Amino acid sequence: MRAIDLGMASCHTCQKVVKLPKVKGEGEVLCPRCGEEIHLRKPNSIQYTWALVIASIILYIPANVLPMMEVETFAGTQADTIISGVLYFLETGSYLIASVIFIASIIVPITKLIILIYLLISVQKKSPLRQKQRKKLYTLTEIIGKWSMVDVYVVAIMIALVHFGGMTEIKAGDGATYFLLVVIVTMIAAMQFDPKLIWDTEIQGKKETNARNA
Amino acid sequence: MTEKILCCHECDELLRVPQTRKEGRLKCPRCGTTLLRQKKGMVEIMYALSIAAAILFLLTNYFPFLSFHVVGNTSHANFMTSIIYLFGEKDWLIGIAVLMTTVVVPLIRIGLMLSLFGPIYHGIIPPYTVFALKVLSHSLPWAMLDVFLVGVFVSMVKLVKMGTIIPGLSLWAFMVMVFVMAAMQVVFDPQPLWEKVDERRRERELA
Repeated sequence: MRAIDLGMASCHTCQKVVKLPKVKGEGEVLCPRCGEEIHLRKPNSIQYTWALVIASIILYIPANVLPMMEVETFAGTQADTIISGVLYFLETGSYLIASVIFIASIIVPITKLIILIYLLISVQKKSPLRQKQRKKLYTLTEIIGKWSMVDVYVVAIMIALVHFGGMTEIKAGDGATYFLLVVIVTMIAAMQFDPKLIWDTEIQGKKETNARNA
Repeated sequence: MTEKILCCHECDELLRVPQTRKEGRLKCPRCGTTLLRQKKGMVEIMYALSIAAAILFLLTNYFPFLSFHVVGNTSHANFMTSIIYLFGEKDWLIGIAVLMTTVVVPLIRIGLMLSLFGPIYHGIIPPYTVFALKVLSHSLPWAMLDVFLVGVFVSMVKLVKMGTIIPGLSLWAFMVMVFVMAAMQVVFDPQPLWEKVDERRRERELA
């Protein structure tokens, strides 16, 4: 049985189960144990998650078009975007590095956005299908999210190590800033999504009401 | 026998668990999320690991991290050198992000773990327990030392073609710290601590 069916909710922070007042008041219910606000579901979860997903799709464009890293040598400046960096490592035979960067900077953010969009649409339809699998997909987005930061860290470490008296300097490009924003915004989007919504289907509700009456 | 009510934070399933339940993992019958860990010796292990993590954090930030030689030129980097250069180049956003995720958040987490499990190990529930547990719960996704370690490996392979890379003592300390912090995350179970907070409040109300 769902907690919501009995008018109960658990605190997002400390998991304490609290019975909510029947009449919906104006003020928020605070957790008696840790003092955080308690909601049956995260408020406006679907709207906020959609907004953040769309924002990160938009940010992902400059992140890919603008250079991540600029290498300044006496021969001139060479700028690398995410994709040109991956291609460079493929050409020089560093397949491991190429795949690490490809997975962290391209596959992870895109997979995450696709999963979130799928979850949002299926939750809005109140779909009763594949709930366990969808819950697993949500857990996956939470786990993989931060791994996109690899490329940002690589840029930071290269900047720290490569600076030889004006001969060779490495600078972070604007693409790195946009990419960082993509990572942060998608992480917040995943946090805003409430996985309990996956289980809020009409069929589930009816089945349980019947079971209780029987 | 008294029972306590649990609610799955992933799927909202309600379940009753006997109050006397002491050990072992409990999974949500509907969605399979781990609800209770109840590992024996959690406090002792966490105390030991957080002391280790604190020492390793100091080592990581004190000794040189990486050195890089290219024909007659050498550059040294400490753990935080990249942040200093990022701020120098006015890449504020990247600089702040790297500073927060690799230094500030991990330091806060280690400090809170130490100040929680130290007193609890000696039988005292500190007055800031609620605050510490809240910060630990909210800061978890923003500690990214494990990701930074992969970033270090990638940049080492990148640079190895241009010159010689010499790992410093700090890098070894850092690698061990990443594993210690991963172990902490596996062992850490806030539920028994929350229950202690409840117990203390009940005692106060009775008094």
